[in-house]
Amino acid sequence: MADLRIDLAGIQSPNPFWLASAPPTNTGYQVQRAFEAGWGGAVWKTLGDPIINTSSRFAAVHFNGQRVAGFNNIELITDRPLEVNLKEIYETKKKFPGHAVIASLMVEPKREKWHEIVKRVEDVGVDGLELNFGCPHGMAERGMGAASGQQPDLVQAQTTWVKEVATTPVIVKLTPNITDITVVARHAAKGGADAISLINTINSLAGVDIHSWNTIPHVGGQGAHGGYCGPAVKPIALSMVAECARDRGVGIPISGIGGISTWQDVVEFMLMGATGIQVCTAVMHHGFRIVEEMIDGLNNYLDDKGLASVTELIGKSVPKYSNWGDLDLNYKVVARINEDNCINCNKCHIACEDASHQCIDMLTNADGKAVLQVREEDCVGCNLCSIVCPADGAIDMIALDSGAAPMTWNQRQQVISTLNGSYSEAEVV
Amino acid sequence: MSAFAEFDKERQAVDKLLQQGYGIVNIKEDLDGAEVTFIRSGSDGDPVKLLLLTADARKHVTTAVFAGIRPAAPVEASI
Repeated sequence: MADLRIDLAGIQSPNPFWLASAPPTNTGYQVQRAFEAGWGGAVWKTLGDPIINTSSRFAAVHFNGQRVAGFNNIELITDRPLEVNLKEIYETKKKFPGHAVIASLMVEPKREKWHEIVKRVEDVGVDGLELNFGCPHGMAERGMGAASGQQPDLVQAQTTWVKEVATTPVIVKLTPNITDITVVARHAAKGGADAISLINTINSLAGVDIHSWNTIPHVGGQGAHGGYCGPAVKPIALSMVAECARDRGVGIPISGIGGISTWQDVVEFMLMGATGIQVCTAVMHHGFRIVEEMIDGLNNYLDDKGLASVTELIGKSVPKYSNWGDLDLNYKVVARINEDNCINCNKCHIACEDASHQCIDMLTNADGKAVLQVREEDCVGCNLCSIVCPADGAIDMIALDSGAAPMTWNQRQQVISTLNGSYSEAEVV
Repeated sequence: MSAFAEFDKERQAVDKLLQQGYGIVNIKEDLDGAEVTFIRSGSDGDPVKLLLLTADARKHVTTAVFAGIRPAAPVEASI
């Protein structure tokens, strides 16, 4: 059995599975039950000046029978006094000394406010701090959360203020509601952050009730934008994690967050540079015990791969992630239809005819049976047919040897530039 | 005409010139495609120009240059 322990910027954890700062980490009761279930760490629901929440806070997007493909919330940070939370953090840490307890913090962007809360929270023995510069709703209207996180200089300044007094590792949690997350990540690093976590939720409106014309959710007929999370956001989160991981100006460990629901998701985030991960929506949907399956799955995967430690996954796919301009234009794949598995639903043909390059023919074979066949010379390898195909194994994407040397767009442009630079019309006129 | 057939027609035109001893000396790309200028090595003849429309042909011609089919030397005699 592989070693699942991680060390995120000095924060030790028995495994990479942490609960994200959210409703599941609102109380000591919840966090302690989560630890009993197997979670290695928990980021406590954000502490700050206690707020007042609305009733009717959550909404979900269900898609084609998949419950909670996406999740939307307008809940704010903790509504409980700091001292109550601190007492429960202390008790939790005492019962579970080997588990990671991180305090998520959000206060006004004032130096003395940060100093005060950091000192009080560290006094009860937390293992680290997570600065919430990501929450997109409610608190942002008051100049906190994402409002801070969208200003790189303010992220840097607040991180610096925290580091002036912090004795535990400081994680800066980033908002995805920004043009380029690496800019903020770099400023967090410049401010002295020991790690970053991403992503927080994405600005969202879950829906509009077409009968009442109310927003979903609504509060007495009035709505406001919320934060979107859950499986639907995973590709966005994974991309942002990867961008930060490959940016040398960031250069600090990453705690990955965003739609993580399975052990496979965890592997993907770690391969793309995360040292550990955080989960919220999947727990809100299925409860704390989903971690059992995640631990088993991850253990089996590591054993199958012959890896002794989960840390061997960290960042292994980052070198495989680059810019479009560095991709090989001469790499070629084509679709190939396996008649044995094809159910002749024609979805590939329709998709190719209507949305791609019209290279799947509907033919009749010698036995009079309808068959679908790809004209490989016209296939551009877009993958669409294999994506829409409902039959496992009916369409394979096959890599062909084009016989041409690898050549990227950037190399191509360089070749043209060099070529044209050594020639002008005047020379031959 | 299939996309491949369009490409193949352009590729054959490019390859024919290369086989005849022409080298690629200039590629001008704009909204209408790529205008490729060929000159026969050591010749003082007029350059030959091909307008390539298909993406695969535009890729083919730069791949040829990239792979080492060097452009013809400038025709000094005509300067």
